[in-house]
This record gives sequence, structure tokens and C-alpha cells, in this order.
Amino acid sequence: MKRVDIDPITRLEGHGKISIFINDDGSVENAYLQIPELRGFEKFVEGLPVEEIPRIMPRICGVCPAAHHMAAGKAVDNVYGVDIPPVAKKLRELFYMAHFIHSHAAHFYALAAPDFVLGPDAPKAQRNVLGLIAKVGIELGGEVIKQRAVSQDIQRMVGGRATHPVWCIPGGVTRALSAEHAAEIRELAAGQLAFAELSLKLFDDLVLSNPQYLELIMGDVFEQVTNYMGLVDENGKVNFYHGRVRVVDTEGKELFSYSEPEYRDYIAEHVEPWSYLKFPYIKERGWQGFVEGSGTPLYQANPLPRLNAADGMATPKAQAAYEKMFETVGGKPCHKLMVNHWARLVEMLYAAERLAELIGDEEITDPNVRVIPSTTPKEGVGIVEAPRGTLTHHYWTDENGIVTKANLVVGTTNNNASINMAVKKAAQKLIKPGGEVSEGLLNMVEMAFRLFDPCFSCATHSLPGQMPLTVEILDREGVVLNVVSR
Amino acid sequence: MVKTVVIGLGNTILRDDGAGVFVARDLRRRLLGTDITVIETECAGMNLIEMLKGFDRAVLVDAIRLDGVAPGTVLRLVPDDLKITPRLASCHDIDIVTALELGRRLGLRMPREVSIYAIQAADTQTLREGCTRAVRAALRPTADEIEALLNGREGEKISIRLAERDGGDA
Repeated sequence: MKRVDIDPITRLEGHGKISIFINDDGSVENAYLQIPELRGFEKFVEGLPVEEIPRIMPRICGVCPAAHHMAAGKAVDNVYGVDIPPVAKKLRELFYMAHFIHSHAAHFYALAAPDFVLGPDAPKAQRNVLGLIAKVGIELGGEVIKQRAVSQDIQRMVGGRATHPVWCIPGGVTRALSAEHAAEIRELAAGQLAFAELSLKLFDDLVLSNPQYLELIMGDVFEQVTNYMGLVDENGKVNFYHGRVRVVDTEGKELFSYSEPEYRDYIAEHVEPWSYLKFPYIKERGWQGFVEGSGTPLYQANPLPRLNAADGMATPKAQAAYEKMFETVGGKPCHKLMVNHWARLVEMLYAAERLAELIGDEEITDPNVRVIPSTTPKEGVGIVEAPRGTLTHHYWTDENGIVTKANLVVGTTNNNASINMAVKKAAQKLIKPGGEVSEGLLNMVEMAFRLFDPCFSCATHSLPGQMPLTVEILDREGVVLNVVSR
Repeated sequence: MVKTVVIGLGNTILRDDGAGVFVARDLRRRLLGTDITVIETECAGMNLIEMLKGFDRAVLVDAIRLDGVAPGTVLRLVPDDLKITPRLASCHDIDIVTALELGRRLGLRMPREVSIYAIQAADTQTLREGCTRAVRAALRPTADEIEALLNGREGEKISIRLAERDGGDA
């Protein structure tokens, strides 16, 4: 048996690695994704006043600070048992919609689109955002940068800072939205919406109208049948901030839904000796290993899983896009992993529509943005949808509000088992006995990983989304036989 | 007039990962009253375009982890060397070379001169404030060298070119 290691920058220690074990006949026996987890999180937050948590958590990572700020903010409200004022909820959601646009746009344009626009076999030097704008035009590149800056500006106007917000506090937020900022955001919202629509149109023109790509999306290399998780509102529609976590089975039937404090009744975490990162699964089904199909305890949490888990989108244009998507891919739930790229854009459209709705709400400048907590703090859970999956923060405190214990289940961790299985399947389908491990093939294996928009910066440190790969082929004893780099 | 920006990249609650930010923080104090802009950031990728645009010269400081390099060693790089620091290589996003090129193609004024200082880290995985001893010892000398560079009086360097490091095969 040989081993193929796909290693992001081998010279960097402490980073993730994909190892592919190859049988003597050249077929793939197994594949593992190994991620080194950040150490000391619990120890780091222990002894801190819990009200500091929402401003510290975003610092764990510069990729989705807003998601951690929101989850921590909700958790801390719950630690103090406060129901925050309606306008504070709306403001937090508004801030968060801008973050979703910012994050989803980065993934689509920097990481996903180049594979489709230039082709998975295109040389790496061209298969990036530069190649993308060379092909589709400089105006688009300018628009991407501009609209991402706008979504940052909106976060800044609403929450004071875009990257390291210090705005959510127990009981609400630190400041109301000024009438001037509200007016400015109303102006900008139309541009965000147009940008989201443009992105979907681009997907339509470049991906859906190309039979080769459609085949790639709908083929069995990138397929995986699991359960799906996502936050839904009281009408069962996708929501990133409010609601209950719903899990549907492989047929799309609701298995259960839970509110924040109940998460540990439904979700358990498995540990494997070869990985630092845990593997969450559905508790009542028990850990069964890396198995897909009906009865599996595994679930995915990401754009497509969110859309699979929900009954629809709460805004009209996103709902139409949602219907079109599921119609095209053969119904719901959809098990085609590559459809995540499409679902991500449907979500971006929803975020832009919801942003416009919220900023149009006449209550949005209401100055009553906080209630002062008055109960003894104890324990609280906060759950939001992060761009790359359901994010859970859980804190315990003493009666003075000093953190005694913490637990996080971050977006990407939910998908840990799925990413492993997706990489294994892609490797098995693509690496053939006697075949060469080519650049294009490596990229196809990487695409299986990339479609999850994995980010281990909070689970771990900065595993790059667009990672240089080295493939090491090793024999049964772990002796390196060959190295392929790109 | 040459417009200069100094950007320190890193995470200040992740031990040595914060090295770049700590150097930038020191430089901000030293450069008060000059027209040099100092930025501390945890971001990278496309966000760098926003930070770099409009400047003629940029100095970036980040942590790095290479095999066989002693912690606290300061390496001097050019963008083309750069596939290897945590934030400048890529963090869920594009790398520095792509960011510079993308900015240029979009018609933005991007720095023509980019210097990168990378401090070899010992620990970038433990959530804890403050650097390890060897890295802590390298912070002030790095700031000294960058300050000298910015003042146009380049003296003795503590940093070494990436290619000069032991077993320099990068």
C-alpha cells in the first residue's frame, strides 16, 4: 500500500494535510484529512469576565470574526438570561447580512469561480482571480472589490468595526444606528443586491450553460448522502441569526430541531486518534464511522445543507433562485456537493435582500438598543449560522460572571467527517491504477475539499483555502516513493 | 513624495503569530509625527488590496514557520518568495502576489516597492497572549531595522535574505 500526502506547504509545520493510501494495484484504499487544532482555548477564556467574550472571540480568527461576535453575543445574552430589545436583534442581523455578502463573495470569486471559468485542468498560474478577470472582464473585478468594501463599510457603520467588532454586549449592542448611517446604508443596499444578482447570473452563464461543468456538478465524484443541518425561522425558512437548528435526514424529512441550550442532547462529538479535530454526529444514532447513506449519524452544515434543511428562503428573489436551483439539480434534498457553490450565491442574494429589508425598517434607528442584565449569570449557549456552517458557543460562569468553562463547535468542524469522505471519494474515483497523479487531478481532489469553504482558522490556524499542494506517495512503511508538487 | 505603509499581520492572542502586529505597534509609536502609515491587521487576501492601495512603498511584517530555522530568526523576503507565511500566502483568500497584481490590473495605485520581514515562530497554535522568549527577543531589533530602512539609513542588518538561510532551498 502506498500513501499520497496532499500537504499545504510542507515547509509550514502545524498545518493540515490530506493523506491518501494507495493499494498495491494503484487503487485508493483510504484518505484522511488531518488538521492540527489550536490549543488552549478553554484555558485562555477561563477566568475572563464573560462580558468580554464577544469582543475576544472575533480575535481568534480574521476570516469570520463577525460570526464569532454574533454567536458569542447571543451566548452571553443567555448567560445573563436577557431578551434583547427588538431593534438590537435587527441591528445584529443587519450587520451579519453584510458579513455574509463579504464572506460568500470572497469564496466564490477567489476560490470557486476560477475552477469553473478557467477549468479545473487550467494551470494553477491562471486558475485564480486574475485569470478570472482576464476572462470575464476587468469591470467585474472592480465590482467585486468595490462591493466587498461596501459590505465592510456597512458593518463599520452599524457595528463600529468590521473586523474586530466590540459592539455586541450582554443585553444588546453598544450603540444605535444613526439616521445618517441608515440613509447611507439604504443607498448602498441596492448595489449589494445588484451584485448578488450579477453573481448568480455569472454562475448561470459560465457554469450552468456549460455541459462539461454541469456534468462535473451532477456526476458521482462529488456526491455524498448525509443528513443536513441549518438554522430555520418560525416559518421553516433559512435564517442566519434567529431560530431553531433543524436537521433533516437523507430524504429531507425532519429528524429533529433544537433550541440553543439543547444542542448537547442532539449532537455528540467523536474523537479519532489521527485527528486533532473532533467529528460531530447525531447523538441518538451513535457513531458508526465514516458512512454515508440512509441511517448515517453524519450531517453536513454549509450553504447547500442549510437550503436542504429549510423549507425555502424568506425573501422573494432568493426564493425564486432556490426553486430554480433545486429544480435544476433534481429536487430536494440535493446530495451533489458542488451545488454548494450555487447555494452559496442563493444565500448571498438572500443576505442582500434581507439587508435591504432590515435597513428599510423604520424601527432600525430606535435608540433603545440594550436592556441591562439583572440576573445572576450562570450558563449560556449561542448559535448562529456562520458562512461555512452552524456555529455554537457555550459558556459556563461562576456567580460573578467569570468564565469557568467553554465549548465551541465551529462551522467547519461539523463537516469534518464529510470533508474526509468527499476527499476519499474524489481520490478513489479519480486516481486509477497505473494512472499518473497529475496537476489537474490534484486540483480535482482539492476541489472536493474546497467546496466546503473550509476554514480551520478558529478550529486551527490558517489552513489556506487556496492551498499549494504537495502530494507524497508513500509505501506501506511510510517510505516516500515520489513527490508531486505544484 | 513617496507614500509608505507598514502593515503588521498576525493574531495577538496566538503566541508568536502576533509577532508582526507587535512590531507594527512598536513602529507606530516610533513613527508618530511622520507621514508613514502603520496598520495592524489579522486580515489578508483581498483585504490587503484596500490596505496597500495608494501607497508607493510597503513594508509587511508577519510570522513564519520554516523547517530548520531557529525561532526568532528574521527573514527578509520579496513577494515572489512568498508562498510561505501564514497570512501572506493565503488565508481563505488570495495571496500577496495575487493581491498586488489584482490591484494593479484594476487600475489602483499599488506599491512598487514591497519589503517583507518574516519572524520565525516557535508556537503559533496556542491561544495565549505574548510571544515565546526567542521571538520576543527579535521584536525590537526587527523594529529597529525597519525604522532604519524607512529613515534611509540602512546599517547592519539582523535579518537574512530567505535564500541565505541555512539549507536555503526555498
